[in-house]
Amino acid sequence: MLALSALATIVALVIAGALIAGVLGRFVTQGIDRRLDANLALMASAVSRNGDIDWQRLATVQASLDAEPGWRWRLDAPGRAIGSADTLVIDPGPAESRRSSPFPPDREHPGSAGPPHADDHGARPLEGHDRAGAPIHARQTTMVTGTGPVVLTAAAPRDVIARPVMSALTPLLATLAALGTVLGLAAWLQIRLGLRPIRRLRAVIEQVRRGEADAIDTDQPVELRALAEELNALVHDNDMALATARASAANLAHALKTPVATLALELAGDPRAGQVDRIDATIRHHLARARAQVASTRVATPLAPAIDVLIATIATLRSDRAITIGATVSPALIVGIDPADLDELVGNLIDNAVRHARTHVHIVAQPTDRRVALTIVDDGPGIPAAERDNATAPGVRLDERTDGHGFGLAIARDLTELHGGVLTLADGVDGGLAVSVTLPLARRH
Amino acid sequence: MRILLVEDDPDLGPAIAKALRQEQCVVDLIADGVDAAHLGDTERYDAAVLDLGMPGKDGVTILTEWRAAGRTLPVLILTARDGWSDKVAGFRAGADDFLTKPFRIEELTMRLRALVRRAAGHAATRIVCGPLVFEAQTGQFELDGLPLRLTALEWRVLSALMLAKEAVIERLDLLERVYQGDADVGSNSLEVIIGRLRKKIGATLIETVRGRGYRLTAGAAT
Repeated sequence: MLALSALATIVALVIAGALIAGVLGRFVTQGIDRRLDANLALMASAVSRNGDIDWQRLATVQASLDAEPGWRWRLDAPGRAIGSADTLVIDPGPAESRRSSPFPPDREHPGSAGPPHADDHGARPLEGHDRAGAPIHARQTTMVTGTGPVVLTAAAPRDVIARPVMSALTPLLATLAALGTVLGLAAWLQIRLGLRPIRRLRAVIEQVRRGEADAIDTDQPVELRALAEELNALVHDNDMALATARASAANLAHALKTPVATLALELAGDPRAGQVDRIDATIRHHLARARAQVASTRVATPLAPAIDVLIATIATLRSDRAITIGATVSPALIVGIDPADLDELVGNLIDNAVRHARTHVHIVAQPTDRRVALTIVDDGPGIPAAERDNATAPGVRLDERTDGHGFGLAIARDLTELHGGVLTLADGVDGGLAVSVTLPLARRH
Repeated sequence: MRILLVEDDPDLGPAIAKALRQEQCVVDLIADGVDAAHLGDTERYDAAVLDLGMPGKDGVTILTEWRAAGRTLPVLILTARDGWSDKVAGFRAGADDFLTKPFRIEELTMRLRALVRRAAGHAATRIVCGPLVFEAQTGQFELDGLPLRLTALEWRVLSALMLAKEAVIERLDLLERVYQGDADVGSNSLEVIIGRLRKKIGATLIETVRGRGYRLTAGAAT
């Protein structure tokens, strides 16, 4: 676009230069024409009404006619001709140029007074060249006398017109070129400066998208303020849509699970109860997935309190298991995960560990550069290394009523990956399982 | 066990109530939050099963109000909302247990029995009173190491006395734990049941506290 505007500027400057050169040429030509017409008038003053040439008068004006080098004159009377030494080759002027007379109107009326007896057509411009081939500009007029027409011609070298035009045009073109350069630079600078707030806005939008900022600062240039406000509204709408999607998922769960619960009770002991279990497993699976696919990242949740309350909850829920649950989590750790997602992720992992542990479960949080590695270790039977890849595959053991490691691990893995982390399985204590997830640390505002 | 069942679903509520009654529980089924809150305040239950989404008043609000008023009634939240955040919120409100729909009636019964047992101050599942042993989780009675066969009403009376071991249960409380609603008491009056129980386990274990009620005590047996 910058190149296009530069090209347009250059074209405009070239056109301006050409126009100015044309106007200048016309002005200079008019000046020369006036002097040539004056010479014609001098020559006419040496011709009498009956066509005789006043030689004495001609000798007087000849000095004026020959004043400058290259200027020529010629007088063609019937039967004789007199003029500058070299003969001129004159092209007949274009038809229309005969009409435009440079003479003031009063000069066109010989009857008023004064010596020149130019005919009604006035002087006409002619182009030609001298014997050496140098172009000339000439003016010609025909006097009607008693003995016949007398043709007067005055000529000046074309050079006389071209030289002042060139000398005027050179500084002009230089000025125009300089102007063009300055204009181009100014345009470039204007675009760069003008686009700077947009670049800054883009950076802020990226921060919002990555969860480093909550909203776009509306302290923007006037032109961008409305845009920033619209973007904030868009972010807000997005948050609302996210909340609505989650609420819809939860409502769907509630709506489906109550009738499924009724069916399960009424079919207790019936072989068809297995179908109810499958319905339940499918609902659980897809709702958990739906929740895991709409995670928000623009949040900051303290890790330690969330884990503490989950431990208390699970210890109560699994009080029949008599498992001790310990945790080593620094209170300073704050993760960039929605509280509900964090509960779901860590809750599933701890619950899994408690269900499979023999005596105890331990939770360790180890911060790294921008993430925290959360490891949940149990002393249960573990998962053989060969089956670990399978263990987090979606749908594994879904058909079992008491879901094994699979379901909780698959949900935890989905949520972890949604937040850019990884879930890894390793050996725990005494052959147990150690599940490790990397969670994003919340960015400082 | 006398259970307050708060469930607004017109199909699920009666289904749970029916299943729990088959497990020898006395069940009051309430489908409205305001009524449920009032009953929990005024009646004596061994435990409550609380649905979270209720018309009138939601489960968490009811529970929070009970706890604020100092009610120690064991509460099991029964809900379709199975997220860990929901469970955490339930426990924060003062729930003692949490069960998500759908569920097996055996699991609900087991959890209720555990809640009632712990609320009565028994950490172990096996409650012993002289020659009498009660497996609180399975509901089995043994007398001198042999299984004790009881009718449903006898079981209700004896399990209540066993859980309250050594403490007096007032007659009215016992009646409420034994008879479901407008059940025909008739020939099965409380005195008749107590008499039959004394024949089975020996006359001295169940003590009549005049003007108040009954209590189970090993003191007289040994």
